[in-house]
Amino acid sequence: MNHKSTPSNGQKSGPRYWRSLEHKADSPEFRAFVEKEFPSGVDLIDDPVSRRNFMKIMSASFALAGLGVSGCRRPEHKILPFSKMPENYVHGAPQYFATSMPTRESAVPLVVKSYDGRPIKIEGNAEFPNSNGGTDHYAQASVLSLYDPDRGINFKRADYSVRGGVEVTEFTEDGNKTLKVEPKSGVLKLLDGLSNNKTHILMEQSSSPSRARLVSDLKSKGVRFYEYEPVDFTVHAEAASIAFGSFVKPIYKFEKAKAILSLDCDFLGTEEGSFESIREFSAGRRVKDDHTEDPSEVMNRLYSVEGLLSLTGTNSDHRLRIPTGSVRRVAALFLKEALEQAEVEVDELNNELEAFAGDLKKDFPKSHAVEEKKDADAAKWVHECVADLARLAKAGKKTLVVAGYRQPKEVHLAAIAMNVLLGNVGETLVLQSYKPSGNGSIKDLASNFKTSDNLVVLGGDPAYNIPVDIDWNSIVDKAEKFIRYGYYNVDETSKKADAFIPAAHFLESWGDARTSDGTLVPVQPLIAPLFGGLTEIEVLARIGGAKETDPYNITRSTFEGIAGKGDSKWNKFLHDGYLVDSASEAVLAEFDGEAATAEWRKSVKKIIPPSSNNLEVTYYRDHSVDDGRWGNNGWLLEAPNPVTKIAWDNVLLVSLKTARDLLGSRDKELLDFEKVDGEDFDPKPLGLPGRFGFHSESGRFFQKVFKLKVGDREIEGPIWLLPGMADDVVGVALGYGRGVGRVGGAAGPLNKRSGGGGFNAYAARTSVTQHVAVGAQLTDTGDTYEVACTQEQGTMDGRPLVRECNADDFTAHKDFVKHFDLDSVHHTAHIVKGDDRGYPWEADHYKELPASPYRNNLGDDSLNGVKLMDVERQQWGMVVDLTSCVGCNACAVACRSENNIPIVGKHQVALGREMNWMSIHRYFSGDEHNPQVTYQGVSCQHCEDAPCETVCPVNATVHDEEGLNLMVYNRCVGTRYCSNNCPYKVRRFNYYDYNRRSIGVEDGQRKPGRFFNDDNHLNNSPLHPGNKSSNGEWELLRWYKNPSRGSVPGLDDGKKEGGEFDPEWDLVKLSKNPDVSVRMRGVMEKCTFCIQRIQSAKIEQRAKVKDSVEKIDDKESKISALDVPDGTIIPACQQACPADGISFGDISDPTSEVYRMKRQNRNYSVLGFLDTRPRTTYLAKLRNPNSSMPDYFDVPNTVTDYNDKNHGDIFKKKEGKAKGKEAKH
Amino acid sequence: MAHDSVPPSVKIAPPPVELERPALVENNRSIGWISDTVAGVIENNTPGWWKLTITISLFVSLGLPLGLVYLISTGVGVWGLNNPVAWGWAIVNFVWWIGIGHAGTLISAILFLLRQKWRTSINRAAEAMTIFAVMCAGIFPAVHVGRIWFDWWLFPIPNANSIWPQFRSPLLWDVFAVSTYFTVSVLFWYMGLIPDLATMRDRFRKVASKVVEPTAKFRNHLAQFLYGAFSLGWTGSNRHWRNYEKAYLLLAGLSTPLVLSVHSIVSFDFAVSQLPGWHTTIFPPYFVAGAVFGGFAMVMTLMIPLVSLYRLQEIVTIRHLEVMSKVILVTGSIVGYAYGMEFFIAYYGGNPYELYAFKNRAFGDMNWSYWWMLGCNVLAPQFFWFKWCRTTPWFIWVICGFVNIGMWMERFVIVVTSLHNDFMPGNWGYYSPTWVDMVTYFGTFGFFMTLFLLFCRFLPLIAISEVKGVLPQADPHHPLGGAKH
Repeated sequence: MNHKSTPSNGQKSGPRYWRSLEHKADSPEFRAFVEKEFPSGVDLIDDPVSRRNFMKIMSASFALAGLGVSGCRRPEHKILPFSKMPENYVHGAPQYFATSMPTRESAVPLVVKSYDGRPIKIEGNAEFPNSNGGTDHYAQASVLSLYDPDRGINFKRADYSVRGGVEVTEFTEDGNKTLKVEPKSGVLKLLDGLSNNKTHILMEQSSSPSRARLVSDLKSKGVRFYEYEPVDFTVHAEAASIAFGSFVKPIYKFEKAKAILSLDCDFLGTEEGSFESIREFSAGRRVKDDHTEDPSEVMNRLYSVEGLLSLTGTNSDHRLRIPTGSVRRVAALFLKEALEQAEVEVDELNNELEAFAGDLKKDFPKSHAVEEKKDADAAKWVHECVADLARLAKAGKKTLVVAGYRQPKEVHLAAIAMNVLLGNVGETLVLQSYKPSGNGSIKDLASNFKTSDNLVVLGGDPAYNIPVDIDWNSIVDKAEKFIRYGYYNVDETSKKADAFIPAAHFLESWGDARTSDGTLVPVQPLIAPLFGGLTEIEVLARIGGAKETDPYNITRSTFEGIAGKGDSKWNKFLHDGYLVDSASEAVLAEFDGEAATAEWRKSVKKIIPPSSNNLEVTYYRDHSVDDGRWGNNGWLLEAPNPVTKIAWDNVLLVSLKTARDLLGSRDKELLDFEKVDGEDFDPKPLGLPGRFGFHSESGRFFQKVFKLKVGDREIEGPIWLLPGMADDVVGVALGYGRGVGRVGGAAGPLNKRSGGGGFNAYAARTSVTQHVAVGAQLTDTGDTYEVACTQEQGTMDGRPLVRECNADDFTAHKDFVKHFDLDSVHHTAHIVKGDDRGYPWEADHYKELPASPYRNNLGDDSLNGVKLMDVERQQWGMVVDLTSCVGCNACAVACRSENNIPIVGKHQVALGREMNWMSIHRYFSGDEHNPQVTYQGVSCQHCEDAPCETVCPVNATVHDEEGLNLMVYNRCVGTRYCSNNCPYKVRRFNYYDYNRRSIGVEDGQRKPGRFFNDDNHLNNSPLHPGNKSSNGEWELLRWYKNPSRGSVPGLDDGKKEGGEFDPEWDLVKLSKNPDVSVRMRGVMEKCTFCIQRIQSAKIEQRAKVKDSVEKIDDKESKISALDVPDGTIIPACQQACPADGISFGDISDPTSEVYRMKRQNRNYSVLGFLDTRPRTTYLAKLRNPNSSMPDYFDVPNTVTDYNDKNHGDIFKKKEGKAKGKEAKH
Repeated sequence: MAHDSVPPSVKIAPPPVELERPALVENNRSIGWISDTVAGVIENNTPGWWKLTITISLFVSLGLPLGLVYLISTGVGVWGLNNPVAWGWAIVNFVWWIGIGHAGTLISAILFLLRQKWRTSINRAAEAMTIFAVMCAGIFPAVHVGRIWFDWWLFPIPNANSIWPQFRSPLLWDVFAVSTYFTVSVLFWYMGLIPDLATMRDRFRKVASKVVEPTAKFRNHLAQFLYGAFSLGWTGSNRHWRNYEKAYLLLAGLSTPLVLSVHSIVSFDFAVSQLPGWHTTIFPPYFVAGAVFGGFAMVMTLMIPLVSLYRLQEIVTIRHLEVMSKVILVTGSIVGYAYGMEFFIAYYGGNPYELYAFKNRAFGDMNWSYWWMLGCNVLAPQFFWFKWCRTTPWFIWVICGFVNIGMWMERFVIVVTSLHNDFMPGNWGYYSPTWVDMVTYFGTFGFFMTLFLLFCRFLPLIAISEVKGVLPQADPHHPLGGAKH
């Protein structure tokens, strides 16, 4: 095992290798010793993860961590006394290992931080080519799934099956099998004799070369393989393969594109590998230095066409609202315009395309925002957009057209054709050769599967997410043997299986994968499987009866087949986390226009636009639970959807018009209207929030439950109004209602549950309507359901919180951020030091600037006679670039992971008690049908003059010499005055003992009438015997009986009702970061700028310079020798941010990145006029709209809103317009 | 009338008719009657209504232990608080009770210094009310914190870590202000009680020597002993009286600034912060006026039924009620002015955040609380411009009920509406209380009423000696006074 050097601060202390032990480990004597000392009979698989056992496992991991190549992580090797402390292992010091998280067709290269052998924090592999170390929120949260208390922990097998001639002895009420715990060997024996043509194996997609190798071996023996992904991204490659006549897949280079057109492609959100796209997109949009660069030259421009309001749509400069199923028509028009612009003579095709596109203006009124609220003309929008793309192409600039996975092949073909016309192929659209898996689809499985064939399901949850027109039960019922390998043994698929094999988490697995560009990356375990689960490749090897079933050896031999033999290559591979230069070669392929046209003609059918009684349903991959795979991950469930800000549930998303249609005539009878298009509109009868999510009554959202009838299927869900949705479209997120686990909520009727977990949209989804279904109706069921929304007010109310400017205005108004009335230069610039500031508007005020109490440059060491604080320390500060931020949640989830932020459950979120230290505010502005959207991540601003500090009666929140606003948890008594006095409201209070209470919903049923009882047990008094977390006993009594049990919450004996082992609390403890204290109830907490990272970097720096600093005589140099170099300290949010939107460092160091950012013209403090001097400042958001587009706004809508409400005119140029506006109001 | 009984030889000219004030004790009652009437409340059999009300009060007060045990064992989450609204009913109740606690000391100290003789009929009960109200108030800041077991960190107790409380925090000022106020109020009240306790001692001694029935004898002896112990050997000698009067004056002088300071300091909890709607320089005088307003209303709310049930109308007369109604009218108008001024400054100050906060109060999600406040506090007292309204006890009682509600709403408006929509709309939220909030609040009512009923039953609820002191008979220069008896 090779160690990754610390990405954030470890490079200062040098890499750590285990050379001596490695050497030693290879000796046969040592191996013999190990085996003798700990005979292989020691089996911990079925043992609880008691602390003791865990330490045993872990000590083995530490010890063997040094053994490197010896296949260390096999369970049979695991016991080694901790007294044999591995060399270089420092107890308590974190170690970093490179690994990767496999995704559908790709992988996320990672560096995982491990404490005492426990993986506790996921970070991106910054050394991976073309990476900034950012990840997506899924990867950040994946570590929690390792410690998921509901994961399958035992090998199980049904009571002997009917097919063996013996009756099944036990059935549960719903006909599911009762699986009994069996020894591993007994279950694995069932795999024998499966390598023949009677075996059908259903898998998820994977990019693992090892798996591909094993699969092809098995295929040669006749085993048939199928792949099923409910959310499938292969359409990109399929379309490219048709268009280019060979197997190629497209790789999008967003960074190089000056303009991007997205045809329902949510590449910033729900497409595969969106974090890579976010990095590239933001890089292509970043204005590195607004003193020298002209944003309108530097920034890219994003056009999007979509039916839902996605992250991509909210981040685009121009957005066209078209129902998802009708994007094809717009694509046709785009292609036609592109052909015309390129002067390609294909009249016949042009006419066809035009005919297919039809009258967009008639079918989709208000498809884009216009200032005067006229009907928008989509055709003009398309025309101007293509003209812009063509203009750029003529100027030799590269553009990019992308189509989303929800769109059929023909849209992808149109996009590719446009890219060809625009000359993007090989530039922004790179083709790589690609090998289709050749496995069948789930439909093939249904048709090929014959009675008494054997079925093996590897991963996934087909019983839950199979298209409803394929009868899963009929396949299962035909099976002779049905073996299930999966992560949860309580999911729908496992319940019917004959045998269950628990899967290992990827952090417990040896394996390999290829990233989106084909680079080979290792999947390296950080920990021996907690519950003895197997990896997929081991299961496949065992089915094949291979001699070698150890996944380590399989992976290694695959690697050797690719890269050649040799320890050094392998070690480097593991150390770096990728194989250098293993990315697939870009191929040059000729666009086959004829084939593409033929395919287009073959597939297009006339599309009838949806209407109010013929709604279109768009199913989409959820931003939290994906397709359901993260359905029991509390971090992701509690991370609110970036656009709707709803946590824990999915909803039926509708637009304003659709909501109004649902109301029928009822709205006329009610008062308290909002004006929409000059008409009265009252969303309340639907229980809806107002136009921009503004609640008006209770502050909680009790939404009406509607029945969505799609074909002959019905699903029920709470309704939600989302401005910006296409009209007559219902957006439904997949992946909820899976009914797995105590976190995601058990299955059951929606209205009986309140713990969250949503409803199952797969119940209406057929193999034909995978993404879009038409002909749906919504009817009111009369029920209501509470939805937890973390942001109740959707607009900024004319307040200059997010400051925006259009790129073409910026050069003339570089200082616009300083012109929001209450704020002045004083309030924004004071924390920047240096004589060379060079702000023209600041020179006049320079002398008046209130100096920082920390460092000043006024040639004076006192401020109004008060001695300034220690100037020897570094001064920490942060800058958030709002132009880069796309609102993806990665920072928030990373912060949760790093800082042990508890999950509070849906109920508490609904009450407004979510604990996230970093919350991303989303604001709508402008047109209510097609709003502009801005995101702003807000965490503790570390005010120099912090209002929270002066009001704390016990000195629990104080300032340090480095400018940090510290929170002393031990001293906090919890008056909450600090929170009241915080203008940013970033302090979070532990209203309950969130860390000691189970948030689980065990039975998923609300128990009305039970005093002191709530779904999530949080507000059960520990004095009450009905409190489940104390296992039915008074906590005081338990404490009296055994005071030494300490603060362990209930269930410390690992037994729950029914006598089955429940590892919940032990696992919860394992998942915590030991560098950060776990807060108890009654304590205030907040962002600390990741003080644990700051301190460890300082310690390392001190350790590094220790000897040399003694010899320095000059005091100044001595101090600066102890300064931590810039870029060494990376807080979790910055580390995770794929967009590079966050900078952190020493703001008193003129060479630091954060100083450079603070010097930008766009730098401002939110609420600067309060003069609290926040250390976190923001760079104003720049938009890059195209002035010839019909939905061009001179000024971003938030600024217009500000001007309207505050009678200001920031840009002082729109006199004529301003007058017009006044007349209008 | 009484003048006829005065011998013509000592007759002096009566004061001019137009300056004559209504008598403080009606019907020209004698000094002995005063003692008998007030002590009679204690000596007579327990009235049925008292038994009924104390049963109800005790029952209601059970809410307090119920709410608090649940709160302390489980966490502050049992209340309806959330992220933007971190203070709710607990702080509202605290400020409300503290406000009520103002009237007693104001009546006994400031009115004493101002030689307002009418105060004597009501000061004892008002002071008792003050003490009980401050006790109720004190519960809330102590339990509203997240970790109640560390409350003592708010006191400047020397410790090994050398960590002191933070003296810049208004919450710490509260600790000192409220505890000082409570201590001085109790001392002042007790001081005033001493002569009356001695009266009770003497009366019980007299009775005890006469009764023969053993239980009654024991009871009377016990009462005599307890009253005797607390009356600290008072004999009513001239020296005792001289010292007593001096001490009373000194304590009145000491209490007077406290009356003003305690609610000013409570208002600093809000005024010192920078939250729009809290950060207002008008708060100290406005809070004090509001406290006097609410305190007098509560005095009347308690006294009107009490006086009628114990038939003390001759001692607490319509004149007393009228004077207090006038105080309510004046302070209510000050409060109304403050409401208007807040709005004006919010507009005139040009700070959009502050303007929004006030607009939000009147027209936002919680506007019901604002209009209740305005109706109860500004409109309701306006009835007191009319003499009939000021002199009709049931009507005064109804108006005072509204004032009590209005003052609670005022604190709710200040605390909650300012918090729920503050600077950044992304953080906005809403607040609604839980049953625990309500049970705890009503529990303090029960607690308060229980204490007050016990006070009525066992202590002289009217200051016997002081009322005697303002009788015409006690004035040597009065036609009725001096050496006639």
